[in-house]
Amino acid sequence: MKYSICGSRAVSAVAALIMAGSVASAQGMDIPVIEATPVLEGLESPWDMSIRSDGTMFFTEKCKGLSMRSSDGTVTNIYGMSGSEGYAGTGSDLFCEGQAGMMGVAADRNFDQNRRLYVASTSNKYHGEGCKTNHERCDGNIVMRLTLTEDMSSVADRTDIVTDIQYKPFESNQPFGGPGAHNGGRVRIGPGGYLWVAGGDRHRGLCPQSPELLCGKVLRVDTDGNAHPDNDPPAGFDKRIYTYGHRNVQGIDFRPSDGKAFTAEHGPWHSDEITALVNGGNAGWDPQENTAGRGACPDQYCGYEPEQMEGMDPAVRASYMPMSDTRFEDLMPPTWNNNGWSQGTSSAAFLKGENWGIYEGRLATGVLGIGFGGTPIGQRIDMVSITPDGLGINGITRMPLDFSKRFRGLVMAPDNALYVATDEGEIYRVTATSN
Amino acid sequence: MPKFIGAISLAVMCVYSGGASAGDAAAGDKRYHESCHACHGPAGKGASSYPKVSGNTVEYTREKLIAYRSGQKFGPNSPLMIMMAKPLSDEEIEHLAVYLKDAKYE
Repeated sequence: MKYSICGSRAVSAVAALIMAGSVASAQGMDIPVIEATPVLEGLESPWDMSIRSDGTMFFTEKCKGLSMRSSDGTVTNIYGMSGSEGYAGTGSDLFCEGQAGMMGVAADRNFDQNRRLYVASTSNKYHGEGCKTNHERCDGNIVMRLTLTEDMSSVADRTDIVTDIQYKPFESNQPFGGPGAHNGGRVRIGPGGYLWVAGGDRHRGLCPQSPELLCGKVLRVDTDGNAHPDNDPPAGFDKRIYTYGHRNVQGIDFRPSDGKAFTAEHGPWHSDEITALVNGGNAGWDPQENTAGRGACPDQYCGYEPEQMEGMDPAVRASYMPMSDTRFEDLMPPTWNNNGWSQGTSSAAFLKGENWGIYEGRLATGVLGIGFGGTPIGQRIDMVSITPDGLGINGITRMPLDFSKRFRGLVMAPDNALYVATDEGEIYRVTATSN
Repeated sequence: MPKFIGAISLAVMCVYSGGASAGDAAAGDKRYHESCHACHGPAGKGASSYPKVSGNTVEYTREKLIAYRSGQKFGPNSPLMIMMAKPLSDEEIEHLAVYLKDAKYE
């Protein structure tokens, strides 16, 4: 099955303009031909991928584990969750629940020499004395450094380099209120080879603004899990924190032109956001009760208030429980807020390579689709043109795919193709051919 | 709860005691794509944390949708289901139940 997406209307329009001679500047406009081809189907909630230059693809499935697709199409199951069958090895502590499970994967920049992968997952190994209620510390999200065997069929060594990202252990009185909510979970290697770990607030009000808890944060660490020496969070904060005040970051990538980090995260019935990160900055999410004019909230979490189970004008809700609260002096204002809607932004990746034509350098952003309270479902991939200062957008073009799915994971490959994982169980290779 | 289940069961018995469902799978497929597909995935296979909803008996799906439509909560994602089920007519529920019974994702 192959999907041909030629952007034919746009091509036709440009051709017509050129023929009429009315818009001379349209000549030479480079609108690429975009095609999506499934490379794997029938997967179980594929979440993230990392692609090597020879076409080898490592991928995670949320409740199954880590696998590798070789360039010849062979799939090898490398490291499974507890109870997974058919894997070369399993982690007895790894589990999935609700939104949680095995999530992000990224390859070391020296992978060809050290065969190291970084994988985010939920684990019960570090619960300690916590996790007895939802209102206490519960360390249950980790980042593992996996060293593969020489034939890359199994794990030779596992070292847990971040073990203290919080997890939601029990159901609470919220929409999507099951255990395992809001883990973030994307991991990426950024400039200098450092590892970035995107987190979520795990439905706990005090998480995002807490100086010591890692929930609701973006971390920048070395490949042993130590803080980057230049991280500059406020005094008293854990030095691994690059930014704080996040809700649920499932997208992070670095702008090719300057290396600047941008995140994409879900909004709470309103305001999905893309944000240009500033070292030590505050994304402005603070769902604590009895704060900022709010009173008590269900299970001490105001994140969906007011009237969290009812649909209402997103702007009204945003004024009560803002995604980016302007009361914070160190606020990183959003680059984009989806016109005030929440449709479930997930992963994001900058489109690299001249083959993307006029879209080169745009941030491809996957939207899962949530149609609550009259909001259009909106499953799509947006190609967002971001201003040089990162504080706004020039415009958005929806990627001209002829199908809509729950677009969970996006990552660029070394050959400048975009790989896309869907919750429905496919991984697509999306190519762009410049004219 | 028992009273509620009893009421539902009674209603179902009264309305559907005539034997086979009057639901139409094609109409259910169309309605499914309008309201359900985005979360539960193609053919009700389930996606992410949204459960599989295909392969159940017509009676099971019918009772669940009627209960959601009435505001009954079954779990943490109930508000979403209640909202989606509220506008469904009896006829649409029947179509959906028949469609989902045999829906398969190839």
